[in-house]
Amino acid sequence: MKTIIALAVGAVLAAGSTAALAQDQEGAKALATGVCSACHGPQGHSISPVFPNLAGQQSAYITLQLDAFRSHERGDPNARAYMWGMASQLSDTSIKGLADYYAAQKPAVGEIGDKPLMAEGQKIYTQGIAAQGVPACASCHGKDAEGAGAFPRLAGQHADYLVAQLQGFQSGTRANAPIMANVVRSMSPEQIKAAATYAASR
Amino acid sequence: MQRGKLRSLIAGFAVAAAALLLAPGSAQAVPSFARQTGFACEACHTVFPELTPYGRRFKLNGYTVDILPQVSGITPSKEQTLMLNQLPPLSFMFQTSYTSTKKALPDTALPDAFAKNGQVLFPQQASLFYAGRIAPNLGAFVQMTYDGTSGSFGWDNTDIRYARLANENFLWGLSLNNNPTVQDLWNTTSAWQSPFDQRSATAPGPGAGTMIDGGLADAGVAGVSAYGYLYNSVYVELGAYRSAPAAAQIDSTSTNVVKGAAPYWRLAYEHQWGRHSLEVGAYGVEAKLYPGGDVPLSGPTNKYSDWALDSQYQYIGDENLVSVTATYIHEKQTLDATYGAGASSNPSDTLKTLRIGASYYYDRKYGGALGYFSTTGSSDDLLYAQGDPVTGFANSKPDSKGWTAELDWVPYENTKIALQYTMYDKFNGGDTNYDGAGRNAKDNNTLYLLGWINF
Repeated sequence: MKTIIALAVGAVLAAGSTAALAQDQEGAKALATGVCSACHGPQGHSISPVFPNLAGQQSAYITLQLDAFRSHERGDPNARAYMWGMASQLSDTSIKGLADYYAAQKPAVGEIGDKPLMAEGQKIYTQGIAAQGVPACASCHGKDAEGAGAFPRLAGQHADYLVAQLQGFQSGTRANAPIMANVVRSMSPEQIKAAATYAASR
Repeated sequence: MQRGKLRSLIAGFAVAAAALLLAPGSAQAVPSFARQTGFACEACHTVFPELTPYGRRFKLNGYTVDILPQVSGITPSKEQTLMLNQLPPLSFMFQTSYTSTKKALPDTALPDAFAKNGQVLFPQQASLFYAGRIAPNLGAFVQMTYDGTSGSFGWDNTDIRYARLANENFLWGLSLNNNPTVQDLWNTTSAWQSPFDQRSATAPGPGAGTMIDGGLADAGVAGVSAYGYLYNSVYVELGAYRSAPAAAQIDSTSTNVVKGAAPYWRLAYEHQWGRHSLEVGAYGVEAKLYPGGDVPLSGPTNKYSDWALDSQYQYIGDENLVSVTATYIHEKQTLDATYGAGASSNPSDTLKTLRIGASYYYDRKYGGALGYFSTTGSSDDLLYAQGDPVTGFANSKPDSKGWTAELDWVPYENTKIALQYTMYDKFNGGDTNYDGAGRNAKDNNTLYLLGWINF
């Protein structure tokens, strides 16, 4: 009898949580297509390089960033102008829902850049710049720039957006990634452009 | 009777010209959008009122992006029937100005005397806005304005829009508005033109202008248009306007009354790359107007066929902002009514306007702008009659040309101080003695200092 009750309660709870989960997913989708889409596009393919593509982005990374916007830990100019306000009303549940929604979308296809730039970028991306103490991007962001957990997907991103982020890490306006601040410290503008172009093209 | 008609037609024209002259500058920059979205002004404006690519997107979306706590209602089938900000999206705007013309204006009562030069308006204009979302896909930009030159409170720009994102590559919407081009996204068209969206409200301004460039809006119209935005680059809009002046009844005492509806169209292509954006487009209106002014609203009309080309370039860097805007407007006036009544010398006239302007801002704080403007058209003894000093056309031509330069200081994103100088090479058809009363075009050169805050 006890087992039956336990099973029944379990089933009800499971049904309840599935329903709640479905509702969260629906809510996240409504938020993404109704509000976020104005900049990031309905399926996470953004309308301009000022805004990142989110389709196929790592869920953990999106969660970390939304949290950092909400807590004002990430304060680059565009983060302040757009995302501080946007993230201010988000709950932990909606952040998780949004992160999962975008992670499940089909990523954008990367654009191939200039040949010499791509060649230099590939070298930096796969081998780093030993003389300047710059590690290979691939070591964290993956061979195909698909990212992993807290390390974001770079493949299919707008190259201009990646350049702006690297500049932000370098100048300190985007200060929520101490690892990246160290990585880009010695990189020249040309090297930044090359690495961003290659990573975005994957 | 014929003479009386003629006189009243001319009087009607003079009133219309005076209305053009005194129309307060439009203004768009509303902090309630910032409160509703949590976005800083710079998200939507390079420097207000000029829009950034995202600002255009926000407008296309019907002003509906919203993060505020909501009062909401749904039907049992979960259809959203109410989505209302808990606090109304209100904003306030205040403008104060100083205007000085190179030569003082004639006294209105005493011959050979002059008015006091150097006029302070406090306020020049004060506006109250309701600007924000009003339902799930419905938003409004509604402006009520106290006009310092007339000392009255009245209805101003209104744009109520419904917008839907059909899919990733197609967004469509409807706009209900009272000023052709107030719904437009770029700052080349008349309602929100930059860099010189603001002009002195008291200095004399050129008397001739095309219908699409403010003439129709000043006549009092309301219209609805449908628009589509494809692949984040192609904008198509089609609409129609009817007369809707503030008066309760439209009759022979009204002026420039639209016969039926006046179709409005707009086509534009925008390309964005990196921090740059470039728009090229065309727009126009076809309006058949009864001149009115003590003439019954029947019989022949004046037909105004306007087409225009425009282009806007923007570079929005972290520190440097550059904008270039240009428009060319061609108007063909087929004056069946006015010519038939003996109030124009030609059965048809043309009027052409060209405007080019460029602005630069450093740090969104310190800026400068330079622009050229020109309106030229057919010579017409009766349409452009000598009339009164300052506002008259002694040379029977509508031509006005000149330059405007401006220095701007934007200490805060919602506060602007502008120092502007306008030079006229030609004014109402002439450079010297253009009004037949001894006034030269240069006498109307205007120094204008504007203080502008929005909160």
